[in-house]
Amino acid sequence: MASIPNHAKHVRFLERHLSLLPGSQQEHDVNKMAVVFYSFTGLMALGIDVAEKYRSSLDWIHRHYITIKLPGWQQTISGFTGSLSVQIPGVNTVSLPNTLFALLVLKLMKDETFWDNHLDRQNIMTFVAKCQSPENGSFSSTLDYKNLKPSPVDPKDLRFCYIAISILYLLGCRNHNEFARHINLDKLLNYILSQQCEMGGFGSYNEAHAGYTSCALSALYLLGKLDQLSDEFKERTISWLCQRQVSREGCMSLLEPNANYDHDDHGGFQGRENKFADTCYVFWCLNSLRILGTQGCELPARLDLAEQFLLHRTQNTLIGGFSKNDQDDPDLYHTCLGIAALKLIEGSFDGVLFMPKNDAGLC
Amino acid sequence: MEGFEDIQPLPITTELPDELCRIMYTDEYKETMGIARALIQKQEYSKRALDLTAKAIGLAPAFYTIWNYRFDIVMHMADQDEDAARLLNGELDWVDETTLNNPKNYQIWSYKQALLERHPSPSFKRELPVLELMISDDMKNYHVWSFRKWCVLFFHDFTHELSYSDLLIQKDVYNNSAWTHRMFVLKHSNPDQKQIQLELEYVKEKIQQVPQNVSSWAYLQGLYENFLSGSYDTSIVQFAQMLTNNVTESPETAQTSWPEIDSSYALEFLATVYAKKDSTKKKAVKAYQALADKYDSIREPYWQRQISMLE
Repeated sequence: MASIPNHAKHVRFLERHLSLLPGSQQEHDVNKMAVVFYSFTGLMALGIDVAEKYRSSLDWIHRHYITIKLPGWQQTISGFTGSLSVQIPGVNTVSLPNTLFALLVLKLMKDETFWDNHLDRQNIMTFVAKCQSPENGSFSSTLDYKNLKPSPVDPKDLRFCYIAISILYLLGCRNHNEFARHINLDKLLNYILSQQCEMGGFGSYNEAHAGYTSCALSALYLLGKLDQLSDEFKERTISWLCQRQVSREGCMSLLEPNANYDHDDHGGFQGRENKFADTCYVFWCLNSLRILGTQGCELPARLDLAEQFLLHRTQNTLIGGFSKNDQDDPDLYHTCLGIAALKLIEGSFDGVLFMPKNDAGLC
Repeated sequence: MEGFEDIQPLPITTELPDELCRIMYTDEYKETMGIARALIQKQEYSKRALDLTAKAIGLAPAFYTIWNYRFDIVMHMADQDEDAARLLNGELDWVDETTLNNPKNYQIWSYKQALLERHPSPSFKRELPVLELMISDDMKNYHVWSFRKWCVLFFHDFTHELSYSDLLIQKDVYNNSAWTHRMFVLKHSNPDQKQIQLELEYVKEKIQQVPQNVSSWAYLQGLYENFLSGSYDTSIVQFAQMLTNNVTESPETAQTSWPEIDSSYALEFLATVYAKKDSTKKKAVKAYQALADKYDSIREPYWQRQISMLE
């Protein structure tokens, strides 16, 4: 596939999220950096040079970077907030996901000056390290607003483990010793392994989930630790992932009585057993399969049908964008993930770092 | 804002040059955030601050610092209150109200966990009706099920769980969360062989009702792998053969017309069992070939891979 049909409509759909937004969007105020990240990634994957187009907004992006050392703290931390609205002088509001989003945005913007001269890698790595739970080795998405401990009210799970590892990777960590210098790597590995599910895949309390599976596998890949998984578990996970492709053929048509089955989802992927297919799970499942696949080998899944599911079922050909299914309105997250999935199938998207490959030279 | 006349607001910054995603904030948003930000900075622990965080959370539910600050206020109040349990119960009530209004709010579950962990006398009985309401609204909500499992472990109380998962399975036999919950409960409660036999009967009955169901087959396999040392007996093999029209048992190796069967999962189950022994590997290959040709042809590349791994 040379280019995605309705290219111009998708570009406009993504660009709309960067322009003036109505008050109904204010609940996303806190995560503006996520909005910028998903829009830029989608645009870049569509071949738009965001570095050129949005250069004048660099100053505004840089303002999200903060460095903080409160009275009584031994260490200084740096990182990004998702919005200027959450920055409060004297209060720690650095966010782990938004730090990753901002770093990737800077990569897409080819902002080497800020990267080399303004980012304090040590401070950011200190922040990442402090987000690790001393109890079970997992990561929290933010610290307590007053001290250097993981926030007491924040979720800790595989998403934030992946985000932490990806940040350390972008900041230069490449092998066991380099990661272990900043975080408790053994505890993290134990945590990730504890999230393995019996039938393959990863998730909490033995219910596998394609999103968590992609996070776990991507983190292990960046750590160079996929060998921690047994061959048997890898096979089970490949099987579990392949089984997530929804089908209307053969015995699968017997699934009609399941209220969460639609034969028109044919070719799409679901995030869990017996659920509808969803745009974003095409990405999470295929990225996971690719990580587990051997170099040069074709994936044991029907990529052509996955592509058709995206193009004919969840793509909005009228206003652009992708939705999660054939019912909802298109949204930014599913648009970015849908484009990423199509580019992943094409081979021009780095699913582990979540970056279009034409830009991989920057990494 | 009324009641906050003494507070100098800390306004949010906007309308900067080349700002991306600029939002046309409502006056209510600007005013509430301005005061909330000032209170966080002052670290004021008061009833009015608590009320304001509720308003701010309503407007910006993903603002993690507000949740953190609210928790801090509650902990300060609980320290000073003679009846900390009553105060924390009041807070749990508030979260549940917020949760029921916005079940996709991801912060609430970890917030509730933090409250329960610091509660002097936490009660599962209090949590159960809310959990039931939330699960009946969205029967496969991953966060709610995870929270339920966290509660079961936190309170060390498994007494309600088997009957609850049965209820959910009766409502929807395809509910994978209910099936995995059942396995989670079983693995944590040291069942004896008698109970495992009862579970086998239970799942076989559900499979007979609806043979094409990945969740019940996974549960069946889980019973054997976790509690019966992975040794699949003749009766379970026959059970699967019955649902597959004995396609693996006929003497021909290649077939031009495969018969109708009730379940591709039964056939895959047989393939897994047959692949374990050299003497039955040929049958496993046949099962995979049948899956690739007819019963689950979308996964043809995957079934071919299984065959090549056996050869």
